[in-house]
Amino acid sequence: MSEEIGGEIVPDSTRELEIDNEVDLMIEDLDLWYGSKQALYGVSLPIAKNSVTALIGPSGCGKSTLLRTINRMNDLIPICHYEGKITKGDIEITAKDADLVEIRKNIGMVFQRPNPFPKSIYDNVGYGVRLHHQPTREELDAIVEKSLRRAAIWKEVADRLHDLGTSLSGGQQQRLCIARTIAIEPDVILMDEPCSALDPIATAAIEELILELKKDFTVVIVTHSMSQAARVSDYTGFMYLGRMVEFNKTDKIFSDPDQELTKRYITGRFG
Amino acid sequence: MKEDRVAPLKDIDRLKKRSRSRRNIVEKGGSLTLATSGLVGLFFLLVLVWQIALPTFIEGETGEIYAASEFIPVSEYIMEWDHPNVDENGAILTEVITLKLSWEENGKEQNQDIEIRILPERGIVNDVYINASTGVSTEVLEVSKKAKFHIYSTLEVPINVEQTTGPVPKADATGQPLVSSFVVSADVHLLADDEGIVFEPLELLAWGSLLATTAVMTFPKPFALKQVQRIKGKEKPAKYLFLALAAATLVAGAFSFSSILGALCFLIASTSLLRMHEGLHRLLGQGRTIAETDRLVHSITNRDGVLMWSRMVLFVATLFIPFAIEIPFLTERYQDIFQPYASGIRSAFFGTVWVMSIAMIVSIPVSIGAAIYLEEYAAPTRTTKLIQALVTNLAGVPSIVFGMFGLAIFVKQGGIGMGLGPSILAAGLTMGVMAMPIIVLASQEALRSVPQSLRESAYGVGCTRWQVVKDHVLPSAMPGIMTGSILAMSRIMGEAAPLVVVGAAALVLFDPEPLAGLTGGNVNFTVIPIQIYFWTSEPDHAWHSMAAAASIALIVLLVAMNSIAIILRQHFRRRLNQ
Repeated sequence: MSEEIGGEIVPDSTRELEIDNEVDLMIEDLDLWYGSKQALYGVSLPIAKNSVTALIGPSGCGKSTLLRTINRMNDLIPICHYEGKITKGDIEITAKDADLVEIRKNIGMVFQRPNPFPKSIYDNVGYGVRLHHQPTREELDAIVEKSLRRAAIWKEVADRLHDLGTSLSGGQQQRLCIARTIAIEPDVILMDEPCSALDPIATAAIEELILELKKDFTVVIVTHSMSQAARVSDYTGFMYLGRMVEFNKTDKIFSDPDQELTKRYITGRFG
Repeated sequence: MKEDRVAPLKDIDRLKKRSRSRRNIVEKGGSLTLATSGLVGLFFLLVLVWQIALPTFIEGETGEIYAASEFIPVSEYIMEWDHPNVDENGAILTEVITLKLSWEENGKEQNQDIEIRILPERGIVNDVYINASTGVSTEVLEVSKKAKFHIYSTLEVPINVEQTTGPVPKADATGQPLVSSFVVSADVHLLADDEGIVFEPLELLAWGSLLATTAVMTFPKPFALKQVQRIKGKEKPAKYLFLALAAATLVAGAFSFSSILGALCFLIASTSLLRMHEGLHRLLGQGRTIAETDRLVHSITNRDGVLMWSRMVLFVATLFIPFAIEIPFLTERYQDIFQPYASGIRSAFFGTVWVMSIAMIVSIPVSIGAAIYLEEYAAPTRTTKLIQALVTNLAGVPSIVFGMFGLAIFVKQGGIGMGLGPSILAAGLTMGVMAMPIIVLASQEALRSVPQSLRESAYGVGCTRWQVVKDHVLPSAMPGIMTGSILAMSRIMGEAAPLVVVGAAALVLFDPEPLAGLTGGNVNFTVIPIQIYFWTSEPDHAWHSMAAAASIALIVLLVAMNSIAIILRQHFRRRLNQ
């Protein structure tokens, strides 16, 4: 079953997928519209626990939209509406009466551009924790230190915790945002092109961090860099024009993709 | 990536959880308050639109406007006799002073003696008037110790004053008087305090300590910081010492304006001292030396605006404590139509202050609420767009229309009128409603300029909408909101038209009572622009110079308010962007 869009043969994305790990999130038949423009067409994919799932595809193919639907960030856009189902265990994320705070607490997000709060570094990390818990001063100190250590930024900021988070460099800010996200210990971390605004050194630091985070968190990352997807991810989904063209283990996608379109995109002979 | 590997244990759940139901109550309460205040504001604006749309004929009084006096003096001189009628020990000189006044009238020499008796009681002031038909008003003048008396003349000719008996005023070593004759004045005086410069030692100490801490904060030099370091371990006693000093200043100065300023100086000095010490402690704790002062500036002065406040208070305190400036023009009430130079804008000044305060209290919270509601809560439906268009248009409605609105709603009794009468309360509410659309628009602009990414990051860590607004959007938008509010306030401060309709009076002899509209009592009030207007329409030139002086006072007030807006904006902007 396939249909023709813009001269390209786009295969149907609903196929049975096999993954090794336990399934953390399940996305089923997700259709999404911005106003009258449809952005996602029946996307389905499982997201494996404690692994890195990468979403690749050309600009405007709906990767970020898909990512932002997982923690209901798209609800902030008034003209956006969707059909379909995302479930996490027995919780239905897309339910009308879902507790958004609980969802966003359990599904953290790192954005494309680093966006620390205009508060001190300490408060940036501690804010989310204080939002959901009532830690004592010592407990909070410990959590802030732990989160900053895990985000590989502790040594750079240890002596200036009370400086503004916005006074850091771009790469440091992005790692601060990661520290902020992991401080509240979500189950899933969504990363929307976290390295697009960073230089290669900061990118390497963040990639290493992602591999480290995988041990404790489920990571979903949107990236434009094929090599980055190949380096950090366990599973890769290739999207095109709002459809999930192919989803499989990263090794399989990058060595022997099933679809011709995927092959052409990965080898750079696209369009 | 040489970071130590931390045990990947998920242990956040051992922390005490925040109550979910409490969070929901706060969320509901916050949003509800916001929505209510916003709706109240929008309701007012809608009523206003309705009022404008409905061609109403408004009956009722427009307040009293006194007719200007028909008395036209030919000329006016003031003689000031500044007599030190006490000896070196402060005892009253009982000797009677006689002044001989002489002038030429229609080619004839005129003479008149006045006897001046000094009384030990304070505050008794009598003046002498000379005019063509009745001559000198009195032959015996009783004034109290250290009082200044004036001789007013409406004659066209100069008058000589000669002292015939009594101790010579302000004599120099040779016995020659320093003030040989009277002072003739045709200008508005900005006189210093009659009693000379009064130094209250405690207030001076307060001013000095604030000056010192501000200087150290502005120019942190190591030798000064070493002194600050010496309070280590004595923070608590130091704090209580300053508190005690502040209380003592208040009591010693009998809660006068300068004593309140002095107490404020002590409090801010103590806060800045402790902050500096804290910052130093942190700095040294980070293994830096005391010489790295730029980091100290970074870590203390820009936080909490201590430096900003201390500079502002220091500026005001400098005027009122060491210089002890007292300007009769600002502190004197309106005297009467014959005494332009003895009059002041005190009533008008207080009227302006009260009207502004009420306008501020009424309009700022409601308008900010309305702006937040429109920007952050309301879905972009057709109704919202309609309200938005109405608010935008209201900001451009001529002020006189707001005056009519105020007259109908606040002043008039019956119908939708509240019946507050032509009072300060009605004027303040009218001005508040006038400021509302301006503040709403400025606040909306400020809220819109908060980057969407900040909202997203806040939602991303699991904030509710109220928490996003309260913790992130509002603090970031605050500089814009405050600037907009203060600019709106300074705009309405200069407005005269709506208050003419509401019923500001031309001559107000007493300090206005802000709540007279509700409690009954004297509702008369005036504000500086109205006072200027009525003074300009007086025929006597002296009143024109009074009006000019009042204009200067108004402009100084406006500049002061706009400066505060600039200082606040800079402070917040620096805090956000440093």
